[in-house]
Amino acid sequence: MNKSTRLMVFWVLLIAFFAWDWHVSEPVNLRKEPPLIAAGSGQAPSGGHCASTF
Amino acid sequence: MKRIPLAAVMAAFFIMLVWFVSVRQAILYLVGIGMGMVLAGMRFGFTTGWRKLIEQRDPSGVLAQILLLVLAAAVSMPLLAAFPTDLGAALGPPSISLIVGAFVFGACMQIADGCGSGTLYKAGLGIPLNMGILPIFALGSFLGSAQLEQWLSLGAIKPIGLVTVFGPWEAFGITVLGLLVLGWAAVRWSGGAVKWFDRRLLIGAILLAVLAALNLVIAGQPWGVVYGFGLWFAKIATAVGVFDPASNAFWSQPVNLNSLSQSVFLDVTSITNIGILAGALWIASGKGEAAFKHPPLSGTQWLVGIVAGFLLGYSSRLAFGCNIGAMVSGISTGSVHGWIWVPMAFAGSLIGVRIRRHFKF
Repeated sequence: MNKSTRLMVFWVLLIAFFAWDWHVSEPVNLRKEPPLIAAGSGQAPSGGHCASTF
Repeated sequence: MKRIPLAAVMAAFFIMLVWFVSVRQAILYLVGIGMGMVLAGMRFGFTTGWRKLIEQRDPSGVLAQILLLVLAAAVSMPLLAAFPTDLGAALGPPSISLIVGAFVFGACMQIADGCGSGTLYKAGLGIPLNMGILPIFALGSFLGSAQLEQWLSLGAIKPIGLVTVFGPWEAFGITVLGLLVLGWAAVRWSGGAVKWFDRRLLIGAILLAVLAALNLVIAGQPWGVVYGFGLWFAKIATAVGVFDPASNAFWSQPVNLNSLSQSVFLDVTSITNIGILAGALWIASGKGEAAFKHPPLSGTQWLVGIVAGFLLGYSSRLAFGCNIGAMVSGISTGSVHGWIWVPMAFAGSLIGVRIRRHFKF
């Protein structure tokens, strides 16, 4: 398999996963959009991180 | 692959994020693209840098990584002190889990020829082994997170943040001192036989430090990779009914349950991971087939590589991050766990390069 074909298969599978995820996940609530810049927003970070425990 | 259609697709995804998800996530996607372009374009490999130091006594890669850490710490530590509620450090607990995880990760990243960021950008470049490893890495990352509670029960103390304990400038001074010692050790080990500095890698280090700082300022949390992988597989496992997040110590936490319920496009590490893949694809699109000719791997090499990829994912969760989440983000934001991660992962790499040679990678 050459590089182009490999990349095509890889991205098709990845995009299929993202499409499925978008379909089954809760709709995005645009009214709860996170601040554009966290620094100075007054809001605590709310995402998961590799270093977090529980 | 032509760059103009690719640029159009990447721009369309950016607009989709702005319109349907959030402007912040769209900007983080661009930051991720920048990371992918720098990692792939400059071939800024953390794994390769360590291997060159071990096998060829070439310290140029390691010194570039140290420069990256110094620059990222110089920006991150004052920011963390200035915005203590808005920005969070990459704080992992010193623990048995960290010691075991970092050691195994260090060994496996040499065997699989890619750490967290390395697997991503090499998959984006179209390198077969790393493309094959990526989903297995995600599986390992998910299982590691699901079993984290048992590993932590073996012994752990609370995370220690140097910025909180000493203040930003003292923490930066301690960090620079530690990094100078590491740099001195690398140069001593090299014996001065080869060039210390590689201009391409130094530029890469500066650009990655800027992008890592942007990640912190925009997202409120430091750059990470493996949380996103674990999240992707956790979503699949939950959807097919083989995993109940509510009964798991890690995934039942509100932040993780929230991540599971919403689109991965809203997850910070997922969106920068997608950006890294896209940035590397952009670099790959500018090169011909010849640039990616690799001798085909044997069945044994594939098997060893895939097992290493699984262990990479699993151990990165035990170690509270990979070379990015634990080393770059941990050390640059003053987490003591990053300082435990580095020697343990390096010790693992000493074994890993031998295993790599044994299987003739």
